[in-house]
Amino acid sequence: MKKKILATLLSVAMVATLVAGCGETAEAPAPAPAEEAPAADEAAPAEDAPAADEAAPAEEAAPAEAQANPDTNDKLVGTPFEGVTANDAYNFAMDVKSFQSTYWQAAVQGMEMAAAELGVTYDAHGPNSESDIADQVNMINADINAKPAGIGLAACDTTAVLDSLQAAKDAGIPVVCFDTGVANAPDGSVVATVATDNTAAGAVAAEEMYAALKDTIANASAPVRIGEVNQDATALNIQQRGLGFINKMTELIKADGKSVAVVGNEFYVNACDDKGDEKTADVIIEVAVPAQTTVELSTTEASSILSKDDVIGIFGSNQVTAEGLLAADDNLGKLGSDVAAGDVIGAGFDAGSVIKAAVESGQLYGAVTQSPLMMGYYAIYALTKAANGDTVADYPTGGYWYNAATMNDAEIAPNLYD
Amino acid sequence: MKKLFKEQKFIVLIVAIVLYVIFALLSKEFRRYTTIIQMLDFAYYVVLMAIGVTFPLITGGVDLSIGTGMICYALVGGFMIRNYHWPVVLAMLLSVLFGLVIGILNGTLVSVMGLPPFLATLCTCMITRGLGTLLVNKQAVPWPTNKVPEGWFHSIFKLTIGRATKIPTGLIPIAIIVIIMMFVLNHTRVGRYTIAIGSNREATRLSGVNVRIYHIAAYAICGLFAGLASIAYAAATPTVQPGTGAGLELDAIGAAIVGGVSAAGGVGSIEGTVIGVLFIQILKIGLPFIGLEANWQQIILGLILIGAVLVDVIKKRKEAAL
Amino acid sequence: MGEVILEMKEIDKSFPGVHALDHVSFDVKCGEVHALMGENGAGKSTLMKVLTGIYSKDSGSIIFDGKEIEFHSTREAQEAGIVIVHQELNMIGDLTVAQNIFIGREPKKGFRIDDKKMIEDSKALFDRLKIHIDPTEKMSELTVGKQQMCEIAKAISHNAKVIIFDEPSAALTEKEIEDLFAIIRDLRSQNLGIVYISHRMDEIKVITDRVSVMRDGTYVGTLITEDCTKEDIINMMVGRVIYEKPKEKSLVAKDAPVVLKVEHLNAGHMVQDISFELKKGEILGFSGLMGAGRTETARAIFGADPKQSGEIYINGKKVEINSPEDAVKNGIGYLSEDRRRYGVVVQKTIIENSTLACLEDYTNGAVINKGKEKEITEKFIKEMDTKTPSSDQLVMNLSGGNQQKVVITKWLVKNCDILIFDEPTRGIDVGAKSEIYKLMNALTAEGKSIIMISSEMNEILRMSDRIIVMCEGKKTGEIAIEEATQELIMDKATRDIVA
Repeated sequence: MKKKILATLLSVAMVATLVAGCGETAEAPAPAPAEEAPAADEAAPAEDAPAADEAAPAEEAAPAEAQANPDTNDKLVGTPFEGVTANDAYNFAMDVKSFQSTYWQAAVQGMEMAAAELGVTYDAHGPNSESDIADQVNMINADINAKPAGIGLAACDTTAVLDSLQAAKDAGIPVVCFDTGVANAPDGSVVATVATDNTAAGAVAAEEMYAALKDTIANASAPVRIGEVNQDATALNIQQRGLGFINKMTELIKADGKSVAVVGNEFYVNACDDKGDEKTADVIIEVAVPAQTTVELSTTEASSILSKDDVIGIFGSNQVTAEGLLAADDNLGKLGSDVAAGDVIGAGFDAGSVIKAAVESGQLYGAVTQSPLMMGYYAIYALTKAANGDTVADYPTGGYWYNAATMNDAEIAPNLYD
Repeated sequence: MKKLFKEQKFIVLIVAIVLYVIFALLSKEFRRYTTIIQMLDFAYYVVLMAIGVTFPLITGGVDLSIGTGMICYALVGGFMIRNYHWPVVLAMLLSVLFGLVIGILNGTLVSVMGLPPFLATLCTCMITRGLGTLLVNKQAVPWPTNKVPEGWFHSIFKLTIGRATKIPTGLIPIAIIVIIMMFVLNHTRVGRYTIAIGSNREATRLSGVNVRIYHIAAYAICGLFAGLASIAYAAATPTVQPGTGAGLELDAIGAAIVGGVSAAGGVGSIEGTVIGVLFIQILKIGLPFIGLEANWQQIILGLILIGAVLVDVIKKRKEAAL
Repeated sequence: MGEVILEMKEIDKSFPGVHALDHVSFDVKCGEVHALMGENGAGKSTLMKVLTGIYSKDSGSIIFDGKEIEFHSTREAQEAGIVIVHQELNMIGDLTVAQNIFIGREPKKGFRIDDKKMIEDSKALFDRLKIHIDPTEKMSELTVGKQQMCEIAKAISHNAKVIIFDEPSAALTEKEIEDLFAIIRDLRSQNLGIVYISHRMDEIKVITDRVSVMRDGTYVGTLITEDCTKEDIINMMVGRVIYEKPKEKSLVAKDAPVVLKVEHLNAGHMVQDISFELKKGEILGFSGLMGAGRTETARAIFGADPKQSGEIYINGKKVEINSPEDAVKNGIGYLSEDRRRYGVVVQKTIIENSTLACLEDYTNGAVINKGKEKEITEKFIKEMDTKTPSSDQLVMNLSGGNQQKVVITKWLVKNCDILIFDEPTRGIDVGAKSEIYKLMNALTAEGKSIIMISSEMNEILRMSDRIIVMCEGKKTGEIAIEEATQELIMDKATRDIVA
């Protein structure tokens, strides 16, 4: 039952992202990555209509914005936020997951940009580490008491914040979730979610990796292994990425007539579409989750998979685990981009100087990046719109695959924070 | 010889070896050279922290700030390299000095102000955690990787030849440090007084020893080693993440106690601590290789620590009965 | 004296490497006080621990109240009616007297502790002992003597049939000892059997009916107290006569130089305006009741506790002493009254303890010269006749007297000229005591000067060349040994109290 709900949720979310990807593609100066285009086609008819509805009120406000802000703003054209202005000098509270990685610093940069454009202010808070769930809940509650015009939230734990969301709703404070959606949020508490469609982003990694490994899998005489290291099994975005990767990979392998089994961490094994049978499978997908979100423990988990002889590919589903992958490989020297030479294909997620360097050198076959900057940026816009009293819809931002060849593309480079 | 067999550190060494053999039999990946290398990567900073914390532990205290402290020093060092282009040597020096300063602060709080060590160092634990995050602007800080010239410091611990030929050069400096610290603990005044303070601070004071200074010294040594550990940590992990580090001190303290440092003070040895680290690292790295879920690893570690402390308590009780 | 209530027959107990009890027999009758004597390590404590269930016996039998019994814990022994009053008090300072007496078996009223009943029962106990202690007072506010009374009250509250006193008088003043004896006599008249362990010969003569002596884990014999002399008992204990008479005259020359001069020393209310001089080669006795401020004076001189005012001159030169470190630098050594807590580091070896005060003299740069350390330690072990298998022995394995020798060694290795001996023979058996005395005389003969704080009148009269008496933080008398008598000292020691 749970699985079904999740699957439904995932498919809805997937469709939503693709629409967004489509919307961005239309207006962005550079063309969208090739692999997203066909998918967008499928989804377009389903979701085009509401997007159009959203666009209408924005256009009404457009003239005022144009005066206030004579520079045309590329980032807003074609989005539901085009032409939004702040009716007041709002102050928002922005609760990020932590300041642990440069990722969040990029998100804050985006907030800064949007706040400057709109003439609003914000205070960003975040616990020391993404595992400090209770700390974040306290921060959110403190924010609610301070009665800001709106709260932007990237929840560390999607169940722990439910009471706080109810409290925010009771206090009449609109909440915009960014980066991570809250699936079971009390009705009406979260007015919009600005997030990467993580399921799709995980799937992108699977598609790219499978493209590289297709022949290896087809020609394998013995079972082969693909690993995945996920930071945790509690945050929705990590869950979605992990499962997006597993399910897409399973789908692709099966389409070519091979069988798959998923083993390892209980949550992911039970949540994936088809866990298969390890004894008979041609491809084994092994999922590991470290006990704590430290690079050290991620490394240990990664190297326990990577040191197996039958490994052909491995995916680290966020910055910490991708770096753990690289640290493990520093000793094992197995990762590379040349499948024919027996290299293990490694895929990462997010950016940061270490991952960027690894992609550039080909140690990592590639990585998926989100746009934290844009999420922060749009979150402020969504909050402003909500504070104005307008309705706001969810706004998914894209996830992009990049490798040594494409990482300097204009479409990709701005998202690759250090 | 018979006495040797009775010593906790010797028994732990045997258990560690047995454990290694069991893991190696269960997992062919575990027996590989690369696994040993990886185990060493993450053992260097634990061993440095553990040697350091052995001193406060012997005085009957503890230093809980070494985990977050180590991260803090690594963050600050890396930050200076990245944002102000400091030479790596200078950054390393800064990290170690920073550690020493926090160590002296801990020592002063405990020895001069009379705060309980648990409380004093818990406070500096929180302070270093927050301070580290603030000083680097809440950003994760990568030290230079071993692929660029500035990353030469990686070779202190692990020399890379070609693509994946690794030589654990770190064993040499660690061995030298271990020998020096064994000497310090057993053959110098600082070491002798550290033990005396742990056994009976008041009797030591009434013997005319300036116990305040030597009590501070024990914590200063600990801080200094947390600083050294920060370099080893920076070499072992791709980036240093602000806000982390809490819990790392427990590996070090646990190792020291498993290695025979008495939780009540007065007893302990550097070689015992090193054996304790060996034991804990084999367990920590080995358990994932035999397919045990991560959270079980922590439960097992906790149970083993209880066992080690119990051994100490029972030993004390037997001594008291005689 | 009634029938035998407790009989221990042929008790045998071995520890690894030690035959602690070798077929020892001992009995107690109703309504008698039976002294158990012997040097430290003779096996008295072990015998009592076997009796009260702390140790199990290897062989032999214990017959109590007509039945053969074997206890597995002190609690079982208590419930049966055998209670031990320890030398070290096991009281919790922050709880009240009543709470301490009934700890672990508080009377209940529903789920609540019945405080009223507890206080009333405590009062009844004190009435039975004919003493006045407020059961609601905190234990830490009581004097050591009163605390001891509480221990006794706790013991009889168990409906004890046999009470064992393990050196009960060690920490008590003369007056308190008298009170204690009154209570013991009273308990005897209530037909209880009492075992009395003590080193003090005088007390044995006064309070006990029979004396049993142990030596080296064996039973030597039993005497009727009335029919024997101190010398008889001591001979049984050690096999030689060692009792000495008081010193008749000072051996210090009249014109001996003053090595230490203390003027108008003030430190808290326990040390008020203390002035005195110590001459070269002199043993200066400090007498007084418990709590007269003698230890506090010594600690203030030594810099162990802060002082408010006063000057200290050593060899005529004014010195600043603000910490033990300063004192040691000026050649003062201090042997604490509480040896295990303040004197030695018991978990460490003799060598480590011996050089603790002057490790800097045994280091080359930062490195300790272990050979030199061992050499000096072994020299002193020999000189002082410290009984130990080796210099590497942990101090905790030594007897009290030998531990004291290690402390003295520490100060001699440091070459201190002024030594403060605070209760140097407390808890030390008769044989070792006389060795310590001999050692002190040898030291003064060498030209060292000693301040000796002692609560034992015999010790003061026997050892001192001059006696300073203190009472409630003030110096109340200075008596030359030639004029000193017990009565005179006692008079000065109680001067303020009487007035």
